Amino acid sequence: MPKLAIIGLDCLAPQLVFEQYREEMPNLKRLMERGMWGRLESTIPPITVPAWTAMMSSKNPGTLGFYGFRNRADYTYDRMTIANSSAVKDDRAWDILSRAGKKVIVLGVPQTYPPSEVNGQMVTCFLTPSKQNQYTWPPELRDEIDAVAPDYMIDVEEFRTEDKLALLESIYAMTRHRFVLAKHLTATKPWDFFMMVEMGPDRLHHAFWKFCDPQHPKYEKGNKFENVIRKYYQYLDRQIGDLLATLGQDTVVMIVSDHGAQKMDGGICINEWLLREGYLTLLERPAGVVPLHKAKVDWSRTVAWGEGGYYTRLFMNVKGREPQGAVPVADYERVRNELVVRLEAMVDPHGKNIGTIAFKPEEIYRQTNGIPPDLIVYLGNLAWRSVGGIGHESVHTFENDTGPDDANHAQHGVFIMVDPHKPARGQVEGLHITDIGATAVSLFGLPVPDDMEGKVIV
Amino acid sequence: MEHKGFTLWFTGLSGAGKTTLAVQVRDILKESGYKVELLDGDVVRTNLSKGLGFSKEDRDTNIKRIGFVCHLLSRNNVIAIASAISPYRDVRDGIREQIGDFVEVYAKCPLEVLVERDVKGLYKKALAGEIQNFTGVSDPYEEPLNAEVVVETDKETEAESLAKIFVKLKALGYLASTGGDGYTKEEEKAVEDRLRALGYL
Repeated sequence: MPKLAIIGLDCLAPQLVFEQYREEMPNLKRLMERGMWGRLESTIPPITVPAWTAMMSSKNPGTLGFYGFRNRADYTYDRMTIANSSAVKDDRAWDILSRAGKKVIVLGVPQTYPPSEVNGQMVTCFLTPSKQNQYTWPPELRDEIDAVAPDYMIDVEEFRTEDKLALLESIYAMTRHRFVLAKHLTATKPWDFFMMVEMGPDRLHHAFWKFCDPQHPKYEKGNKFENVIRKYYQYLDRQIGDLLATLGQDTVVMIVSDHGAQKMDGGICINEWLLREGYLTLLERPAGVVPLHKAKVDWSRTVAWGEGGYYTRLFMNVKGREPQGAVPVADYERVRNELVVRLEAMVDPHGKNIGTIAFKPEEIYRQTNGIPPDLIVYLGNLAWRSVGGIGHESVHTFENDTGPDDANHAQHGVFIMVDPHKPARGQVEGLHITDIGATAVSLFGLPVPDDMEGKVIV
Repeated sequence: MEHKGFTLWFTGLSGAGKTTLAVQVRDILKESGYKVELLDGDVVRTNLSKGLGFSKEDRDTNIKRIGFVCHLLSRNNVIAIASAISPYRDVRDGIREQIGDFVEVYAKCPLEVLVERDVKGLYKKALAGEIQNFTGVSDPYEEPLNAEVVVETDKETEAESLAKIFVKLKALGYLASTGGDGYTKEEEKAVEDRLRALGYL
């Protein structure tokens, strides 16, 4: 019977793995030579939630009904809920495999908290409030983790710090403990399917990208953190090598990431932009920067508002839908089209177009369940982040609203797969994140459900 | 928030943890924006079922009344939570049939442990013969055969039992995707703060 191990590395960047650091990562290099590899196109948006669930359910965010970490609970202006596992109504590969009697181990995969009753073991993700919560299935696994990996970390603490050394240590510790637990679980529990996700690369990129990327506007040659990302990738490669050595020769191995990384040029204060463009009206300008829900918005004269994050979600204030809707339904499409044109014309402080792309959910998804944004916007094609607060002096900001952050996400992640019973195939193209779930189910000889949207990678 | 109603029925011996869990579930659901009512067997006996005793007939009447109120609430999209020993299987199953959207949680705990715990001092009295018709001691308790959730309160922490209940409610589709995320208000705030610090929001 086949065994499948999926090692997920959040935000692992294809340009670093496949090009820049390839020769310095002997374990990944060997996997690439023995199997197939290529860039893995992520979801729109390319964010941890919904990307990992899209990967393992083989469904796009519109079908899944969540478009980011927080989603509108209703059509009020401020009620949002966090999309943890409770929001996931669709099967992920391990649910299907569990039902088919396969033993699974699921470690740290985003959107698994609260845990579900899998046929095997589950350790939930960084949406777990704390280790005080029930974060394992079965419940007693928690005590076992306390014994074998007592310092296991759900995530790094104090991410927004200028104490970069402490943060770096924390990221290494998180990665180390996760692999310790991965090795323990795979060595001591029966399994057919193993999947882990390590968040370290994402945390590292956001905290250290400007020190390592000569293209970054804030890069300084010869700075003391210049090789931090390179060294961490080498460390990751050794950890992967150690884990693979224990998994057995017959195991099919996948190395995947949910999205890539790129430099961040700055932030666009989206609500400030909407204000200046006449789409948002305040009753009173706040004294300093405040979150939009704390500002006095004149909803009766507001057309749209936006949320912060690595991309913008734009919501329109529609008559009969929002409590104080201002856009008549008959004008909705015209106003939305106008917003698209204006957003895509957005410029940097020097007047240069930054290449923003605005998507209409119904044009990119087969269905739009839940409450989708009216527009999903990649500011500067993701080179700029979205800053949600209002009261900024300018539309552009180079100091993040929540602390230092110098990377943004990129549309493509990493895919490497080795099936010991198949010949090497080298580089492959056209891979999509939803292909992974379908491929995982198919590897066990099970029928791929009709509603899975990805294709089986053969 | 609009959501579907259903009845969450806690059954089990006195002191097994039914009401403790029921109160927790109610609070979590309320904080998440759900409409919830809790019917506690002990409280119901002071109003809805005032005057009823502990004969089989009176017990059945008491449980049927609770079931009736749960039915009214559930069909009006309220989550009705009942916490009552409800010792007889046929009565519980009758209510299940009546309501349809019915989730049974069996708070399971061995009698020896309950006698040891004896929070209300009732077991001591029952064993001494001072209380008649005491379920588990001098009256039967019929375990559920197909409870949706079995929580073993002598083996699990409260958090573990709660996790089981919420996992099941989610799996059954009673907790909508836009709400009811299983966090308490404080937990939601902690997670939101983390996401903001990480740059996701």
